[in-house]
Amino acid sequence: MRKILYILFVVVSTAYSQTDWQKWEAKQVSYELPTKSVAYAQNENASLAGTFLNSLKSAYSFLISDYDGDNCPFSPSCANFFVEAVEETNLLSGTLMFADRFTRDMNVFKGVNHYPLHKSGKYFDPAGNYTLNLQKIKFEMVNN
Amino acid sequence: MILLISAAELYSQSGAQDDLFSPNNRLKFANHLYAEKDYLRAIGEYKEFLKSADNDTARFRFANSFLRIGRFDEAAQNFKILFIGSKLEEEAKLFYYQSLFFSKDFNAFQTNYDSRFNFPQKYSLTLDRLNSATYFLSKTNLPSGNVLIKPFDDSLQTKLIYYYLMMKNPPKKNSVTAALLSVAIPGAGKVYTGELTDGLIAFGATLLSGFLAVNNFQHDHNFRGWLFTGLTAFFYGGSIYGSAASAQIYNARLQFNLDSEIKLFFEERNYFLPKIDL
Repeated sequence: MRKILYILFVVVSTAYSQTDWQKWEAKQVSYELPTKSVAYAQNENASLAGTFLNSLKSAYSFLISDYDGDNCPFSPSCANFFVEAVEETNLLSGTLMFADRFTRDMNVFKGVNHYPLHKSGKYFDPAGNYTLNLQKIKFEMVNN
Repeated sequence: MILLISAAELYSQSGAQDDLFSPNNRLKFANHLYAEKDYLRAIGEYKEFLKSADNDTARFRFANSFLRIGRFDEAAQNFKILFIGSKLEEEAKLFYYQSLFFSKDFNAFQTNYDSRFNFPQKYSLTLDRLNSATYFLSKTNLPSGNVLIKPFDDSLQTKLIYYYLMMKNPPKKNSVTAALLSVAIPGAGKVYTGELTDGLIAFGATLLSGFLAVNNFQHDHNFRGWLFTGLTAFFYGGSIYGSAASAQIYNARLQFNLDSEIKLFFEERNYFLPKIDL
C-alpha cells in the first residue's frame, strides 16, 4: 500500500509540478514598463502594515514562490493580490479579500467564470474589484 | 536673337501676375483638401477665404471640418451662423445638433431640442432619434418609454423596449442580501449572484475545515483544533465578504454590458444619421 502511495505521489508530482517550463524558454525582451501589479508589489511609500506585508511577501517569494514557479492562474498573483488588497483597504478587509480570492483559486471551474484574460494569459482579477467600491471595478485592462 | 529675347520676355513667367493666395485659389485649395479629408488644413484655408468673402458652402464645409476632427464647439458655432438666410439652413441645423450630440453634452442637446424653433420637417425624425439616443446613452431623467421609442422603426422597437426596461429596472443583486445568505450558509451568497461553483467551493472549504476543527478538539488535539478553527473563520469571513463583493461585481458587469450593448447598437447604425455629402 505504501509503495503504491509513493508511486502515485511521484507520478502526480511529475505530472503537475513545474508547469512553468515555458518560462525558461527564449523570449523576446520586453522593454515595457512593469505592470501595475508588479509595481505595487514593492511600494516604497507603504505604511507600517504595508512594510510588514512587503517583508512577508519577500520572504514568501524567496522561500516558496521562486521554487514553486509562476503557477498562480490569476493576475495579479494571490500574494500580490493580498498586498494590493491591504494597501487599498485595511488589514482586516484585505485579509477577507484574500480569503475570498484563495477560495476562488481553489475552484477548478474558474475558467468557466467570466474573468477577462490578462495579456499574460492569466485571469485578470485586480484587488480593486473587491473593495466594495463600485467606482473601482473595472473589466477592461488599462495599461496593463 | 532679338525675336527670341522679346518672345521670352513676353511669355515667360506669365503666372507671376497671378496671386496664388487669392480668395478664389484658397477656396479651390480648401475644397481639394476637404475632398481629400485633410480637414485640419482645410480649416486653415477656409478660414482665410472667409475673411475676405462669404460663401454658404465654404462656411458649411468649414464647420463640418471642425465636426469631423472632433472640435465640436467650434463646429456648432459655425453651423449656427448658417441658421438665417442661408441655402444650407436645413442641413446646418441638423449638423448643429449633431455637433452637440457628438460633444457628449447630452444636457445641452436636450435643452436645445426642447427649445428648437423652425426645425426642418425633413430632418425632424432624425433629430427625434438623436434625442432618444441621448437618453439611452446618458441614462438620466428618462422620459416615458413611448416617447423614446416612437421615432424608431417597428423592427427595432422590441430591442429598444428591452434596453429601456433594463435601464429603468435593472435586475441587480443586493450586496446585503448576498452577505446575509452567506452568513446563514457559507457560499450561498455567491450562488445568489450566479457564481455557483465558487459558492460550492466556499461551502465545502468552510465545512471541511470546521469538521476538522471539531474532530481535533474531540480527540484532544487542541493545537490543531485551534488551527482549523482559525482556518474555518478565514473561509467563513472570506465567503461573507466575497459574496457582498460578488453582488457588486455582478451589478457592475450588468451595467457595463448594457452600456456597451446600447453604445454598439447606436454606433452600428451610425446613430440613424442620413448620409449628406456637401
